[in-house]
Amino acid sequence: MQREGKFKIVDRLRAIRETQLGAFVPVLLALVAIWGYFGLVIPLQDLLTGETENFRAIFLSPRNIYNLFMQSAVIATLAVGITIVLLLGEIDLSAAATAGVCAALLGVLVLTGIPSILACLIVILVGIAMGLVQGLLVAYVGIPSFVVTLAGLLGYQGLMQKILPTGNLNVGDPFIRGIARTLIPDLWGILIALAVFGLFAFFSFRKQYQRKSRNLEVDSFWVIWVQILVFGFIVISVVLTLNAYRSLPLLLVLLLGSTMLLDWVTRSTPYGRSLFAVGGNAESARRVGIKVNQIRVSAFAIVGLMAAIGGIFGASRYGSVSYTAFAGGSLLLEAIGAAVIGGTSLFGGRGSVWNAILGALVIGSLGNGLDLSGASAADKLMVSGAILILAVAIDALSRSSSGRT
Amino acid sequence: MVSKLDLVGQAAPPAHLVVRGVEKRFGGVHALRGADFEVARGEVMALVGDNGAGKSTLMKILAGAYAFDSGDFYLNGRSVSIKSPNDAAALGIQIVYQDLALCENLDVAANLSLGSEPVKDGWSFLPKFMRPIDSLEMEAKAKKAIEQLQVRTLQSVRAKVGGLSGGQRQAIAIARAVGTESSVVMLDEPTAALGVAQTKQVLEMVKRLRDTNHAVVYISHNMRDIFEVSDRITVLRHGDNVATYKTSETSTDEIVVAMTSGLDVDASRESSNAT
Repeated sequence: MQREGKFKIVDRLRAIRETQLGAFVPVLLALVAIWGYFGLVIPLQDLLTGETENFRAIFLSPRNIYNLFMQSAVIATLAVGITIVLLLGEIDLSAAATAGVCAALLGVLVLTGIPSILACLIVILVGIAMGLVQGLLVAYVGIPSFVVTLAGLLGYQGLMQKILPTGNLNVGDPFIRGIARTLIPDLWGILIALAVFGLFAFFSFRKQYQRKSRNLEVDSFWVIWVQILVFGFIVISVVLTLNAYRSLPLLLVLLLGSTMLLDWVTRSTPYGRSLFAVGGNAESARRVGIKVNQIRVSAFAIVGLMAAIGGIFGASRYGSVSYTAFAGGSLLLEAIGAAVIGGTSLFGGRGSVWNAILGALVIGSLGNGLDLSGASAADKLMVSGAILILAVAIDALSRSSSGRT
Repeated sequence: MVSKLDLVGQAAPPAHLVVRGVEKRFGGVHALRGADFEVARGEVMALVGDNGAGKSTLMKILAGAYAFDSGDFYLNGRSVSIKSPNDAAALGIQIVYQDLALCENLDVAANLSLGSEPVKDGWSFLPKFMRPIDSLEMEAKAKKAIEQLQVRTLQSVRAKVGGLSGGQRQAIAIARAVGTESSVVMLDEPTAALGVAQTKQVLEMVKRLRDTNHAVVYISHNMRDIFEVSDRITVLRHGDNVATYKTSETSTDEIVVAMTSGLDVDASRESSNAT
């Protein structure tokens, strides 16, 4: 209170961060910076140096954006799940291996002639069960989640190799391939975008009106307008860009739909509130009667669910299941990185599933952009590591500064 | 049992919460050896004792965090059994722990209704923990609770608790205890970590709780605070009562002596008859 002058700017920044879209500002800025670099700076460099031979202006082309979204989709699905356990202050290292087991199982089940919808359901249940087992070990046996899921990572990797002795299996089932291949017609895509935009605006204004009529404090008018316009701009421009190449793919609609559902669950239900409470202060959550252990188990089950969905998405997109694409590759670290880069705290209690989607786009854009500009795999790894450290450092700093005041 | 309550004194109202002969053992440690305790509505009862006297054990038993081995528990003249914190909360007994148990990552309103969030109507097809929270109702409730306690320094119920001062946090923890229609509020060392001005604020709040007809149990080591705010003082020593004093008729010295060396045998018997 005594430092009024200094306080105001920090307060305002914090106020922006705590609005509905404000928490996305850092990761959106990171995304804009990466896209600006790969999409504008590099082509400009080529233009200035007269490099017409391999002019690298394709990053921001609709085709590349489409590929970028599809490449990031599996990472994003896992990252959304991992976000849920990060909210509790736990971690899940086995998500990618779980996705691998589920994808492999899906491939085998479909080969044996089980209807593909049924196979998908079975796989989802298996994924939930795999997460559940780990959650039970964490909550009731009391083993740190790092160790449980590290064991899970190893065990599930082995399990995947057992299911796929050759390490590779093609998935040709039309239903499963259809998830990634089906495109929403252009017009419908635009209508969906407009509907989402309209609903967002409607709910924002309705909430504002209800606040006013109940005499509660209201957000300033321009904040609401900026939120609505930024949201609308993003949604509509994404759909228009995708339409310019192909169309809005069903895979993205499913991903965003399940993310929206999880976002609603985490932010608007007593269950979600208890996730945040346990992550913020487990002891106080216990004292108000929240069943902390059940919450923990359920969070790991949700990771299992999202991992299974990620496995299905992956099998659908690649048209095959391979050991390296899931359990053995970089998927796990990319997914955890995506959740953290998105702004979800590793210390628990802060974050959102939408941030994980944006974080996955950051990771995907980095990989994609570095590939396009001819960087080596070594460069990619080093840049990704640097970005991850930067994100965690921001998290740690913002945590200590909020704890001090 | 009820007739005994009349012996408390002419000025004192009949007790609202009464425990008699509470025994509690932790393995070989005999933490409570038949302690008695009572508190009336509209009264601040201070609970004092040296370290290890059994204050926190008694308090946790009242709050349902521990079960006692033997003893009687009466609320409003009726015998009740309290086996869990939820039982205690359902009977209107609330406790504000020394560490406050707030979630710093949540805002004031969310903290105030944590664990009992109001949900919107019309979603009964979903299990209760999956129905949408009525966040506006929650904020309105929080605002009311904060206004009741006259916490003037708090600007917004949407502020994250992590950014608030110690006094404000204490206020929110107390508001949470009061907000759930409680009749008994127990405060564990509420001023231990606070500065002078904030201590004053909290003591004012405790007096307001008394004025709103709550039964307040105030646990503290700080004699000045106790003499400022309490009506009666119960002294525990070695897991048993030493005596219960009226604050207006005793002195700091007397309490300190009672805490550290107890009374002589005759006086102790007399006082345990009286309570």
